[in-house]
Amino acid sequence: MALTQEREITVNMGPQHPSTHGVLRMIVKLDGETVVEAKPDIGYLHRCFEKLAEQKTYPQVITFTDRTDYLSAMTNEWAFVLGIEKLLGIEVPERAEYIRVIVAELQRIASHLIWFGTFSLDLGAATPFIYAFREREVIYDLFESISGGRLLYNYFRIGGLRNDFPPGWKEKVLEFLEYLEKKALPEYHKLFTGNRIVEVRTQGVGVLKPEVAIAYGASGPVLRGSGVDWDLRRDVPYGYYHKFDWQVITEKAGDVFARYLVRMREVEQSIKIVRQALQGMPDGEFLGKVPKVLKPPKDSEFYVRHEGSRGEVGVYLISDGTPNPYRCHWRSPAFVHLQLVEPMAIGWKIADLVAILGSIDIVLGEVDR
Amino acid sequence: MALAEQITAEFPSAQVTESSYGETLVKVAPEDYKKFCRYVKEGLGFSYPSDLTGTDRTDCLEVVLHLFKMEPNGPRLTVKVQVDRQNPKVESVTDLWPGVDWHERETMDMFGIDFEGHPDLRRILLPENWQGGHPLLKDFEDKRPERPRLVRGDR
Repeated sequence: MALTQEREITVNMGPQHPSTHGVLRMIVKLDGETVVEAKPDIGYLHRCFEKLAEQKTYPQVITFTDRTDYLSAMTNEWAFVLGIEKLLGIEVPERAEYIRVIVAELQRIASHLIWFGTFSLDLGAATPFIYAFREREVIYDLFESISGGRLLYNYFRIGGLRNDFPPGWKEKVLEFLEYLEKKALPEYHKLFTGNRIVEVRTQGVGVLKPEVAIAYGASGPVLRGSGVDWDLRRDVPYGYYHKFDWQVITEKAGDVFARYLVRMREVEQSIKIVRQALQGMPDGEFLGKVPKVLKPPKDSEFYVRHEGSRGEVGVYLISDGTPNPYRCHWRSPAFVHLQLVEPMAIGWKIADLVAILGSIDIVLGEVDR
Repeated sequence: MALAEQITAEFPSAQVTESSYGETLVKVAPEDYKKFCRYVKEGLGFSYPSDLTGTDRTDCLEVVLHLFKMEPNGPRLTVKVQVDRQNPKVESVTDLWPGVDWHERETMDMFGIDFEGHPDLRRILLPENWQGGHPLLKDFEDKRPERPRLVRGDR
């Protein structure tokens, strides 16, 4: 038997691993149980969305945007549609703007709930996963009744939306929000937030300093969990968010627990926004006047910044005057955040790596596009 | 002083245009690119690297960098640098904004642009042994053999 042994060992995590939320491979170098190096290997779900988009007309691309981040399809559709509306100068009717805010915020709640469930599963707690999926199911039923789809909606149209609410939808949403706020959220907090094991496994783990987060281009709950008061809904406004009374949630600690708290408190803010939007919603058209064939001016380009559920979704559109985009680039928050795993995980144990990976909320469909 | 004026004062060779959508587009020469980025970051305070990507302009390739400040309704800066299509090469800016690391890798993967000084320039979305070229180039040809289409009943 050899007496000398290499100190560091390389462990392959994935491509299929329950904690990688899709098909992600991590090549982890370990010293004992301590992470020395963690290199994500991505591309397993690559579909070359950007090349496909160049071959389709603008309205046809909306269906692809659903499939980038499939847990946050509504916000993605909105981001893409915003870009074309900007290029063509299309006005969106007031009612459509309200409905957009409502569905986007419901989507944010659904996405944060899934994150809460899968993240707790990463930590080894199976119960919150079932609880979170129970509530998410209601939102998906609500979306099914307005769009026909449960996961991929194709609900947004350039200049508005495909259709209005069915009768009784508003009351169902209000009933659900009441239930979520009064019953479900307190239940989550009872299960998870004050839990001693959760605290030990998440507090102080994977600290991300604000200046590092900005230099890496982090956004969304990851950035706000590091104490940076930044939300594109407020700071680079789009839609009707300025009409509602809500707050940007930040936590100072920058650890896994802070990112958890930010998301849970954002759900509360989203509930607040949806309630106000439902109340203030005017009657009227849900689709504006839009030309049959959409041809943005030649050589015009725009970069959309949109606050998706996971952070900044960027859509870079270049038009050459034809009905197809000349170039359509998708900047996804999870792609950027995955770069942060290594700097955050070095020096922590491999079980903490799982917690850190879970805390940035990756969706591999969005990372690989 | 407006952003465009500040830039032309410092870099007279840069082409600055204001788009009708509120973006400041700056075209710089490849040899000025790194210097310009350093000025933009350290001199003008564009600390947030939102995105870096490429465009195939058929006569040349373009690297596009979207930069922002962390201030509400702040300026929107788009830096463009055009590189030779036959030998696309540009300096890496990963030392200024570490977050563009993977964006540069993706741009290399999709357009074949070589980012000099990048710490780990490998293919990222496509497999490392991919031989089929760079898919987002306009003259890309899919050379994979066509798959026979299976129809139920065909035996």
